[in-house]
Amino acid sequence: MKIESGIFIGGTPLFLAFAIAYGLVTGWDEPVGVACLFLTAGLSIMIGAYLAFTARHIDARPEDNAYGEIAEGAGELGEFAPHSWWPLAISFSAAIVFAGAAIGFWLVAIGAVLMGLALVGWVFEFYRGEHAH
Amino acid sequence: MTPVASVAAVDGPAGPNVHATLNRPNMVQVGTIVWLSSELMFFAGLFAMYFTIRAVQPDLWATEPLKLDIPFSTANTINLVLSSVWCQMGVFAAERFQPSALGTWWAPWTREHGFRNWGMREWYLLTYVAGAIFICGQVFEYANLISEGLTLSSSGYGSVFYLTTGFHGLHVTGGLIAFLLIIGRSFAAKRFGHAEATSAIVTSYYWHFVDVVWIGLFFVIYVIK
Repeated sequence: MKIESGIFIGGTPLFLAFAIAYGLVTGWDEPVGVACLFLTAGLSIMIGAYLAFTARHIDARPEDNAYGEIAEGAGELGEFAPHSWWPLAISFSAAIVFAGAAIGFWLVAIGAVLMGLALVGWVFEFYRGEHAH
Repeated sequence: MTPVASVAAVDGPAGPNVHATLNRPNMVQVGTIVWLSSELMFFAGLFAMYFTIRAVQPDLWATEPLKLDIPFSTANTINLVLSSVWCQMGVFAAERFQPSALGTWWAPWTREHGFRNWGMREWYLLTYVAGAIFICGQVFEYANLISEGLTLSSSGYGSVFYLTTGFHGLHVTGGLIAFLLIIGRSFAAKRFGHAEATSAIVTSYYWHFVDVVWIGLFFVIYVIK
């Protein structure tokens, strides 16, 4: 994982240099670019440091080995839903909430209730029925 | 339809393949960090807005920040920072697949029922209470400021103050809802396994992130003014 963390950590000094250069060129009078460029450095160090931290806690992956075989990557990938309608329910209720901001706030209340139902349905989907665990 | 991933992922500590997921980064955790880095840029926009209004209307900053109650907001900030500590204690419990306290949770002064035996649920409930106190404090603070004439539309300072702290408050509220869902899941799960631990851990990432953003906002709005 050295390459991945290096790509992101490598961006940090670059964006810091951009932020300082931007500040000097604008005489530190223009705060939008300065704030956003400094926090872009924050964005890259955040991902890079997390990947570097993760790399120290796991074994080298097949991707890290120049002679790695695709078959070595077999095994546990994570937990995935086989299929789910709940994301659709969540996005429809989110659409109702946002439409409510334009049409009238009574619609926001209806959308919020639907959103709560959809969110609970999605989060607890695999705690009952066929795939319960 | 095929069952969810495989059995090893949903098994608890007694499963045959407990460390099966250790040979690759957890996708949910990496994805959460990438999403949080985009959240950082969302707050970058709010900081940029704050500093811009401050640059074009510096005279507002001579009078308006005097209305802020610094000791009160400092206490509330300390409460939020401590809630991150409680949250991390909950993560340590989740990492040892312990959803709830081993003994009675309500006797923390005793050795056998003390904090060391607390599970994720107890620590996350404490985090929830601390976060809820923070939001109540913010509502109280807003009410006081509005009674002193600082509103969203009273001046440029009012607008940026309520937009920055308000968007942060909405994030904290979202985190509180997430804690309720995570605590609910710990009751619903037959066995507290990798899936439950992962969602508890990524919720803690979000909470720590929102906490760090508040430290930045507190420093900018209340300390350097």
